[in-house]
Amino acid sequence: MNRYRSAHILGVTFLLTFMIFSCKHSEGEYHSLTDKIEAESKNYHGTTISSESYIGDIETIEITEGEHTFSIPERKSQITSYACIECHTKPLKELKGVDLKKAHWDINLVHANEKIMNCATCHNGDDMNNLKSLTDTAIDFNRSYQLCAQCHSPQFEDWKGGAHGKNIGGWSSPRAAMTCVNCHNPHKPEIESRWPSRFNTQKVKERE
Amino acid sequence: MSGIGKYFKLNLNSATKQTSGGSCGCGNTSGGCGSHINESAPVKTSCGCGNTSGSCGSHSTPEISEQEFFDAAVDAAIGDERKKDGFDQVFEVKMDRRTAFRKLTASLMIGAGAVSTSCSVTTGDESKEKAQIDWEEQFKGNYKLMTDEERNATVNRLVRSYELRKKENITMKSTDAVKDVLFGYAFNISKCQGYMDCVNACVKENNQDRNSEMQYIRIHEMKDGEGFKFNEADDNYYHEVPAEGHFYMGTQCFHCDNPPCVEVCPVEATWREDDGLVVIDYDWCVGCRYCMAACPYDGRRFNWSKPEVPEEEVNKDQHYLGNRMRKKGVMEKCTFCVQRSRSGKDPACVEACPTGARIFGNLLDPNSTIRWVLENKKVFRLKEDLGTEPKFWYFMD
Repeated sequence: MNRYRSAHILGVTFLLTFMIFSCKHSEGEYHSLTDKIEAESKNYHGTTISSESYIGDIETIEITEGEHTFSIPERKSQITSYACIECHTKPLKELKGVDLKKAHWDINLVHANEKIMNCATCHNGDDMNNLKSLTDTAIDFNRSYQLCAQCHSPQFEDWKGGAHGKNIGGWSSPRAAMTCVNCHNPHKPEIESRWPSRFNTQKVKERE
Repeated sequence: MSGIGKYFKLNLNSATKQTSGGSCGCGNTSGGCGSHINESAPVKTSCGCGNTSGSCGSHSTPEISEQEFFDAAVDAAIGDERKKDGFDQVFEVKMDRRTAFRKLTASLMIGAGAVSTSCSVTTGDESKEKAQIDWEEQFKGNYKLMTDEERNATVNRLVRSYELRKKENITMKSTDAVKDVLFGYAFNISKCQGYMDCVNACVKENNQDRNSEMQYIRIHEMKDGEGFKFNEADDNYYHEVPAEGHFYMGTQCFHCDNPPCVEVCPVEATWREDDGLVVIDYDWCVGCRYCMAACPYDGRRFNWSKPEVPEEEVNKDQHYLGNRMRKKGVMEKCTFCVQRSRSGKDPACVEACPTGARIFGNLLDPNSTIRWVLENKKVFRLKEDLGTEPKFWYFMD
């Protein structure tokens, strides 16, 4: 009886050791990539790599929206005829009909339809230096994304998180991203089709 | 047969008659195929050819026909090698003393050439230095096993060698993986418009061969509503994009966390770095292309010819494991632009994409944009069931 027991114990011990060793995968210590990412990012305190120098000479402003804080290019200095009040000295109504040089003739609004949008949806005739929200609150030209976000809320969410829009410079901190108007013309936001930038002639030969 | 016409074809017991230059598939082990030429082509020579008439029947006439001449020519050229393969071809070669001496002398000459150039008093300092560099480069070890000093030494040699040969200065880094970084990539299928600006930027950044138009990235134009059908997709379109009723998705090296290409490499010339990049030591690669066959994503490219880039177009900001100039007969592939990414810059494709469809970042940083995408969008990877764990996710708006 005693002999049986010792044999039994020996067997169990052997089985346990075998199980311990056989469970050790050759692929590494994690079952999947997501497990690895989760485990290894638990004690993340930043890296030594910085992307600051890759933003270049783009002048940026820092914004905080919800839990996201990042930089976007400064806008006002990039608008050719800013500040607007340099020409718009009087309210719009008084300027109309006066024999002045025509301005903004090149702007053709192709954004939603006339029922939904016209110039006054975003611009305020009484305060030309600022944009205005749907509730007539002033929005700074540098924060024009707030205007877009009124209708395009899913895009806004994606942009804040980083799934929509273009990153500037590098992947590391500090994060800088293009704002809406850096890619989309606000008066004609649709991006036009064009031809691909290259064609591979060798691939054609290889597949003949 | 269209498509692969120019490649070597195996014809195993094919019922169809071979039309072009069919050599006689002789079955006899002794004497080889060539034997029936010496025996003035007797009728009774058994020929293993499937077809009873035509090429094989021509033995009966005493004059050498075109087919026999072809066979004889092939025999003279490859002879025994048709029966032997691999090891036997190289080592079971009958060789008389004279040939053996000649071959030995030839290889000795190569070595002696290097030595004599470096020791000679008449050759210039530059050619001596070149020979010295070539010698040291020839006998250096695997990059993966090198110490930091050895890495610096080989990088310095390569920079100097380029300077001596091309009279141009390049910079080459050997930056190592940094702690707490694991690179990952996301691709927005709804945003890609098929402009191929990424391909352009990649070719320029990574000094890819201009003659063979090698490209790491492929953009596949797929029909809406058909799902991912790579066999029906077009990756070499040239028309206005985006085309009606199509969507675009890009593939490149996915830098798998469990990379099959690394597993098959017989010389460990390719491996996964700590920051997740799957890299190649071009100087250790023997060009067997096992990795190319093992990759389920068509991520790897082979240099069939010497890669050439016009001197003024060479990207001189290089990394040993990245975009330095390759040679003929080695593998290469996307490295997530190691020369850029390890310094904190976005890869060239990410920077070039005008649509923002490409997102790159550190998977271990919980506040990175890539992590936000993985946690908030519905992401998937290609052929996930293979267990290769690619670090390249696709998603839609």
